[in-house]
Amino acid sequence: MLHIKNLHAGYNGLEILKGINLKVGKKEIVALVGPNGAGKSTVIKSIFNLAKITGGYIFFNNKNILGLKTHELLKEGVCYLNQGRTIFGNLTVRENLELGARLIKNKEEVKKRISAIYKKFQILKKRENDFAYTLSGGQQQVLGLGRALITKPKILLLDEPSLGLSPKLQKELFLMIKKIKKDGISILIVEQNAKKAIELADRTYLLEDGKIALEGSGGFILKHKKIKEVYLGGRY
Amino acid sequence: MSLLLQVAINGLIAGSIYALVSSGFSLIYNTNKFMHFAHGASVAVSGYFLYGFFAIIKLNFFYSLSLTLIFSALLGLLIYRIIYLPLQNRKASNVILLIASISILILLQNLILLLFGANVKDIEFVEVKKGLEFFGAVITLTQIVILLTAVLFFIFLYFFMNKTILGKNMRAVSENKELASIVGINSRKISDFSFLIGSFLGGAAGILIAVEQNITPTMGTILMIKGFTGAVIGGISSVPAAVLGSYLLGLAENFGIVFLPSGYKDAISFVLLFLFLLFRPEGIIGGKRRTK
Repeated sequence: MLHIKNLHAGYNGLEILKGINLKVGKKEIVALVGPNGAGKSTVIKSIFNLAKITGGYIFFNNKNILGLKTHELLKEGVCYLNQGRTIFGNLTVRENLELGARLIKNKEEVKKRISAIYKKFQILKKRENDFAYTLSGGQQQVLGLGRALITKPKILLLDEPSLGLSPKLQKELFLMIKKIKKDGISILIVEQNAKKAIELADRTYLLEDGKIALEGSGGFILKHKKIKEVYLGGRY
Repeated sequence: MSLLLQVAINGLIAGSIYALVSSGFSLIYNTNKFMHFAHGASVAVSGYFLYGFFAIIKLNFFYSLSLTLIFSALLGLLIYRIIYLPLQNRKASNVILLIASISILILLQNLILLLFGANVKDIEFVEVKKGLEFFGAVITLTQIVILLTAVLFFIFLYFFMNKTILGKNMRAVSENKELASIVGINSRKISDFSFLIGSFLGGAAGILIAVEQNITPTMGTILMIKGFTGAVIGGISSVPAAVLGSYLLGLAENFGIVFLPSGYKDAISFVLLFLFLLFRPEGIIGGKRRTK
């Protein structure tokens, strides 16, 4: 499904990614973990044309999507939930969802999809006409997910979705991500919370200094000495 | 009582003009995140457009009006496309854009001076008549038109920003350009529209001044300062707040000169500008609708 080959990318002349190779299969959750500054977010930003790519390829369903504009990526079924603020606070909950569905021309279809999102995340229906900035942190993240899912993506790119959430909300969020996978959507997740991400994912890549240092399934990664010592505090 | 009512009416009329200037300025600022001070020159140029079409070419007033609004909007777009956009493409900082905007303001004022001279111009569309009496206060028909036109424009702007897809996209870009681009909004197109609509509103202000008062080449500078002050008072990050702030400024100026000599009118707005910049730079209501 998503295949990144020998990707070199960065910002303002500084190379962050130094030849990344990564694959995400159909209905698969792939986690990307690593220390701060390793280039995790840059991988996702490169797919979404928000970083300067200096070499390599990005294929999605065997089509080169390198350099595609955002609306073209959305039409291909690639959707990105960015790090930090994922919603427009000064727009209502419904307006946020409508913006997510802005590429769908059929108004009835938009209404149907919004109803489907309300069915999935009932809190959004209750707060439909409230400004999004009045939602709690967890509700804002749910709205961000709803906005992303309304496009019916084939792959969802999640950049630090648990950032700023309480442990209880993080747990709920990871359960939601599992449910999204069950709906047939592939997920590439970048996470600081390495343990949670590895447990959630089917496969994990460890990124260090812009290069893939380790790759494997959850069990393999969690048992790996390097991961245990450096990322899980040697206590797992 | 009649004095207070008269002062309030005068304040609302001045506020209407300032609000039209500040709403356009605030719309452009929020979408593009830089100060387009040349907006003041757009206001002055639109007054001269009207003067040119109506008093020189002798077109019908309503054709002149329509052409003025269209040309004002296009002038704003042109300024964005040929000056700001190339600078932005070269990663120019906001300071560079600010300097560019002041340069355009001076350039356009001097162009007006070159083409029309320094003398005050009057389009002589409205005959001077005694105004209507209203509880002892006097208001002219032109002033009523100014009040109603401004209110109509703001109602239109409110519905445009809240009920149309383009308006919602503009609000999204204003809040978070990167997130807007992630959901597929073309922020460059939105910038085009912000300059078109913002300059259209500035053009409306220029027309109302040309109809009610006289026009001068340098009128844009003082109007820009008033519009900017109004936006700062209300809250520059929100168009409705900028409108409210402009009405408050108009009222403050006019109530101020009840107690002070009328020559202090501009000084009142400068003092308010400094006070707000020092003690409440986010404005009266500008800070209340922030995202978490």
